[in-house]
Amino acid sequence: MAKKLMNTAVQTGPRRIGRHTIQRLLLYYLVAGGILLLLTAVFPQRAMTPAGDIPPTGMAEGLDWLRWRLAVMPLGAPAWVDACVQMVGAFLLVLPIAFTYIRTRTRVKYDHSLVQTVVMLPIVVTAILVVVQDSLALAFSLAGIVAAVRFRNNLRESGDAVYIFGSIGIGFASGIHALSVATALSVTFVVVELVLWRLDLGAEFDDMFNRLCMPSGADRAAPPSSAGDVPEPTGGNGRKRGASESPDSDPRLTTLRIYVDDLAAGRLAVEQVLARDAKVWTASSTEPGEGTAGVLEYRVRPRKSVGLAAVRDNLLRDGAPHIIATDETDAAHRL
Amino acid sequence: MTTPAPAITGDDHVLGQAGARVTLMEYGDFECPSCGATHPILREVRRAFGPNLRFIFRHYPLRDNHPHAEMAAQAAEAAAAQGKFWEMHDRLYEHQDALDQRGLTRHARKIGVDVAKFETDLAARTYATRVERDVESGRASGVRGTPSLFINGVIYRGPRDRASLVAALANAAMAPAVP
Repeated sequence: MAKKLMNTAVQTGPRRIGRHTIQRLLLYYLVAGGILLLLTAVFPQRAMTPAGDIPPTGMAEGLDWLRWRLAVMPLGAPAWVDACVQMVGAFLLVLPIAFTYIRTRTRVKYDHSLVQTVVMLPIVVTAILVVVQDSLALAFSLAGIVAAVRFRNNLRESGDAVYIFGSIGIGFASGIHALSVATALSVTFVVVELVLWRLDLGAEFDDMFNRLCMPSGADRAAPPSSAGDVPEPTGGNGRKRGASESPDSDPRLTTLRIYVDDLAAGRLAVEQVLARDAKVWTASSTEPGEGTAGVLEYRVRPRKSVGLAAVRDNLLRDGAPHIIATDETDAAHRL
Repeated sequence: MTTPAPAITGDDHVLGQAGARVTLMEYGDFECPSCGATHPILREVRRAFGPNLRFIFRHYPLRDNHPHAEMAAQAAEAAAAQGKFWEMHDRLYEHQDALDQRGLTRHARKIGVDVAKFETDLAARTYATRVERDVESGRASGVRGTPSLFINGVIYRGPRDRASLVAALANAAMAPAVP
């Protein structure tokens, strides 16, 4: 099941993660992990250095042995070098998170300042924690300083907050010399976020409702809802997919005004295209014009693999010569 | 008194086929803020009609009000000479705050024209006559300001929002042909 899910995630659909993306991420983590291991071995934390000149023995002490062999500063790196190592670690581990943000956001939802924030934040948090260490007094001072500064910023997307928290988490882990925890957080974050984005979890309300809340074998086309029934289309044979898709209330539906020179022939052409290219569509109104001409209005949700722009292009191409123009109607115009 | 409809000539800048159901002609000024605001709307309108619309652009620089408009129009013609009129047209409308000499050269470089030839054409005012011809045709057709739009040769005086323009163009496209 999981294999099937991942195959689907990698290969198909408009939300493709892409084989190259996965390969690059894997390669990046391998290289970053190697760099971090080397850095922590060459510049060991003072408290972690093996005692004396005797090399540690035994399989369980393999890493300590490596450190002992590689350590440039066997007695432990000075505080500033140690802080630099942790900050470099935080930086390396947060980059895939920033990349995931860029990969999963549309141009509209993308906020470039958030990318820079996500990259900088763990470095700063690491430095703060290196300074505070185990000092209760410094911790209280930090709390006082933070309380004195008012942070207020509206995020473009509520989901962006998760990136901020993920970034802080990596900073915390790096700051307490737990780079392994930071690595685990970074990898888990990236994997879960990419999978959630790929599957668009929760977007298909009816499907999710049917799968999770309805008894097995129940009629999936008609989940119980307090929203009432879907109004029948005034024309055409639009496929209704449940109460949540009431054409007036469903924000995922776009209103298309289609100008045709012949209402009957135009409607036929429009509905042939919509039956093929739209996941949900309903005819909402017809405005007769001069002679046989007029305007057909449809509420449309295109198939994800097609997209609204392509639906409009296909209407013009396949609906020729009767379809003259297609226009997306905004809310103001509808009112 | 009726003004003559602007006749479409061979050296007009045209997007779309001659057999399109409706023709929209714009007299525009690259430094005019209203033209700049109308530019993305016209792009949407072109998208709404696809092959059913033919779009024609003509220059009408308002030299008294817009000091860079004339040179911008000539720059568009210099780019047109190298086959990049629409790229320059879009770029000029999208960068109305950079229409001085340096800005025009930068735009030319960005769209990939031969900058040396472009600068020579601008310095020699090679296309001043071409721009003036557009202006004269506009004056003859009753253009007094920018942007001035003509739908199938008839000046359009309605609102310039997308929905109104699409409706007006669709009505013109669906109107029975005048014998």
